[in-house]
Amino acid sequence: MSQTKPTIDFGFTEVPLQEKVKKVKGVFDSVAGNYDIMNDVMSLGVHRLWKRHTIELSGIRPGKVVLDLAGGTGDLTKEFAKRVGKEGKVVLADINESMVRVGRDRLINAGIAGNVEYTITNAEALAFPDNTFDLATIAFGLRNVTNKDKALEELYRVLKPGGQLMILEFSKVTQPLFAKFYDFYSFNILPKMGKLIANDEASYQYLAESIRMHPDQETLKQMMLTAGFDKAEYLNMNEGIVALHRGWKY
Amino acid sequence: MSHNTNETHASDQRTNSELDLPLLSLSKTIESVLNTAVRLDEMEGQSFLSLEDKVIAVTLSPIKQPLYFLFTKSMIAVQSSLVGEADASIQTHLLDFVRLPLNHALPNTTLSGDTQLAQYFIDALCSLDIDWEEQLSHYTGDLIAFKVGHGIRSLFNTQQGVKDTVSQTLKEFLQFEIEAVPTQSQVKRFCQGVDDITTQTNVLEARINTLLTTS
Ligand SMILES: C[S@@+](CC[C@H](N)C(=O)[O-])C[C@H]1O[C@@H](n2cnc3c(N)ncnc32)[C@H](O)[C@@H]1O
Repeated sequence: MSQTKPTIDFGFTEVPLQEKVKKVKGVFDSVAGNYDIMNDVMSLGVHRLWKRHTIELSGIRPGKVVLDLAGGTGDLTKEFAKRVGKEGKVVLADINESMVRVGRDRLINAGIAGNVEYTITNAEALAFPDNTFDLATIAFGLRNVTNKDKALEELYRVLKPGGQLMILEFSKVTQPLFAKFYDFYSFNILPKMGKLIANDEASYQYLAESIRMHPDQETLKQMMLTAGFDKAEYLNMNEGIVALHRGWKY
Repeated sequence: MSHNTNETHASDQRTNSELDLPLLSLSKTIESVLNTAVRLDEMEGQSFLSLEDKVIAVTLSPIKQPLYFLFTKSMIAVQSSLVGEADASIQTHLLDFVRLPLNHALPNTTLSGDTQLAQYFIDALCSLDIDWEEQLSHYTGDLIAFKVGHGIRSLFNTQQGVKDTVSQTLKEFLQFEIEAVPTQSQVKRFCQGVDDITTQTNVLEARINTLLTTS
């Protein structure tokens, strides 16, 4: 019997499963230094607004314990840390050391310290006990995770009862005409801008492709329910360029 | 261990596609005005110290949904949803809130929960030198500009300063823009309009920044 190695998408390319983690790490290693500029370019600056909405809708309050998974350079961690106060805590967890290092330096420079912890961990095997967090977020990170179902199960596990998961991710544009324009932007303009700014066309190409391979709004909602969440819903932002999925553990 | 399933999730009631952009924009405006005022304050916001790690819900009628003020060492955060109950609640009118620094009092106001805490907050607000009328004019001016369809140009004009007194603008805004908006779909279209303009201005800003950093 012929043994075929399991493969998984890396953007539009199929690669052996275990290689995806390495490849994704490569992408983020190469963009870490330019990551913040890249975010502005990718979203034309609107990512700030999406993140602000996420924070507002989280209902966060002083004393809460937050996990910012795939937290990267710490945009969300920074804002949550300011809100949870001295009694609360935010854990920035990411698989990539370079991203976490850039994030930690940035937060310390911004005077955020004392209630933030930094951890290197894979979303598929979280290094935290059950029922640890009041809130978990994963912003623009889930599409890079190889086994998304496993990551969702892990997120459910580490949430306290009553806790909430928020997934902010590029999604499926709902308006057909706009979808056409958006495709053109992603595949023609974005990689060129990536080359211009970060001299890294390939990584930007991967980012555009990975967005298209990510499950659409309804599929992700179903995946959350299957992973154990007791309630799941989503909110489209800017015609579905980005969707905010929320799941609760009761 | 506390089992907090009976906590209120204020935003639970929203449907999948709704995002209350005017409210989000209001909370953001108030938050940045407050924090700027604290930074410029001679006392560096000392009067807010007794509020640390507390949450106060403020309902500014006729806006139905309360805004939640969170106080930590780093900032005063203002947001439109909260998990759980606030420590204290203040119910007042938006116009009275705006005039607080002038009047040093909030007439017709109901305090509930930890009322002493609520009073600390009111006193602390009075101690700051904030011209809410001027500051909120940007917010209401923007909304009205979107609504009457003057587009980006009038947005920039309003940023340069609104001639009317804000009380007048606010009053008109409340009467004609909030209370007189009859249908859900009109509200939706309006929000979409605000969303679109926000996107466009951010696009513009990002492009300008890119040009500035690459040139
Ligand atoms: C696009 S960045 C997003 C960073 C940040 N959340 C933000 O919104 O700015 C994606 C992040 O996901 C991280 N990541 C990718 N795969 C991961 C995994 N399996 N587990 C944890 N983090 C992962 C990457 O290292 C990277 O920092």
